[in-house]
Amino acid sequence: MATTTRRGSPSTDHGEDSLTTRIGLAVLRIGVALLWIENAGWKKPPDFSALRSYTEDAVEHPVVPPFSWVVEHLVLPNFTFFAWATLLVEASVGAFLLIGLATRLWALIGLGQTLAITMSVMNAPNEWEWSYYLMILAHIAVFATAAGRSFGLDALMRPIWQASDSRLSRLLLRLS
Amino acid sequence: MTRHPLDRAAIALGAAGVVSLGFALTTSGNNNFVLVQGLGLLVFPVLGAGAVIGGAMGQRGIVLAAGAAYVASALIQLAQFGRSTNWIDGNGSTVALLLSLGIGLLVVGLAPRPAPPSADRQAPR
Repeated sequence: MATTTRRGSPSTDHGEDSLTTRIGLAVLRIGVALLWIENAGWKKPPDFSALRSYTEDAVEHPVVPPFSWVVEHLVLPNFTFFAWATLLVEASVGAFLLIGLATRLWALIGLGQTLAITMSVMNAPNEWEWSYYLMILAHIAVFATAAGRSFGLDALMRPIWQASDSRLSRLLLRLS
Repeated sequence: MTRHPLDRAAIALGAAGVVSLGFALTTSGNNNFVLVQGLGLLVFPVLGAGAVIGGAMGQRGIVLAAGAAYVASALIQLAQFGRSTNWIDGNGSTVALLLSLGIGLLVVGLAPRPAPPSADRQAPR
């Protein structure tokens, strides 16, 4: 990548991308973040009743039978734990994608969560399967373009991480 | 005066906190992106303004304080939403936005900055 940033001096890390491209990538990343943030809103403790209903769809309208088996025998009997985990993961995916920090990691986590949702509800009545395909594609786009480097904190932090010899910095470089 | 990029980021995050007050204007109970109401109407803009001031003055302490307060608010909201006691009056979306701004400000505030050039060093001719 043709950057000329000094070591340790935070600057942008967007190579030769045009401003239009960078704005487009930032809009994509923030849009995907808002998707997760808004949908963290209806997962309400302590009973998570709406989420339970969607989770049960995985058993009543199976998409991938082994996944339905896992939901029936592992997730539903321990529903409160998995519901909290879902809430925390989705809120975190939204939070980190919004500021563009460790974006590639969180895009992958978002992709994994999207696959779980897809395998739970895609065959339920009145679902439009392309909603889930589009979610998958959006996360692939955020990952592939490292969208946090466009107006995200990754753009500021990567030169700092590059200047550091710590293992955490090297890891964050790969995850951003 | 050229502002340090990390200070500019603090200003941008703080401004986002202030602007997030706009979510309160949405009327739908379903599609409102982020639920901002009750004490949230105070928490988002006041801490955001603190971050803007901290960034504008180059005061990392203020930026860190605002970030820590956002994270603390997120944890309080996480512990309370869905219960009868809900000080910030938000939900999971509120948690996510508070967390986002808090982590962002903490990262910006804690990031190492290159040392300023020494005063006794001669400028190259």
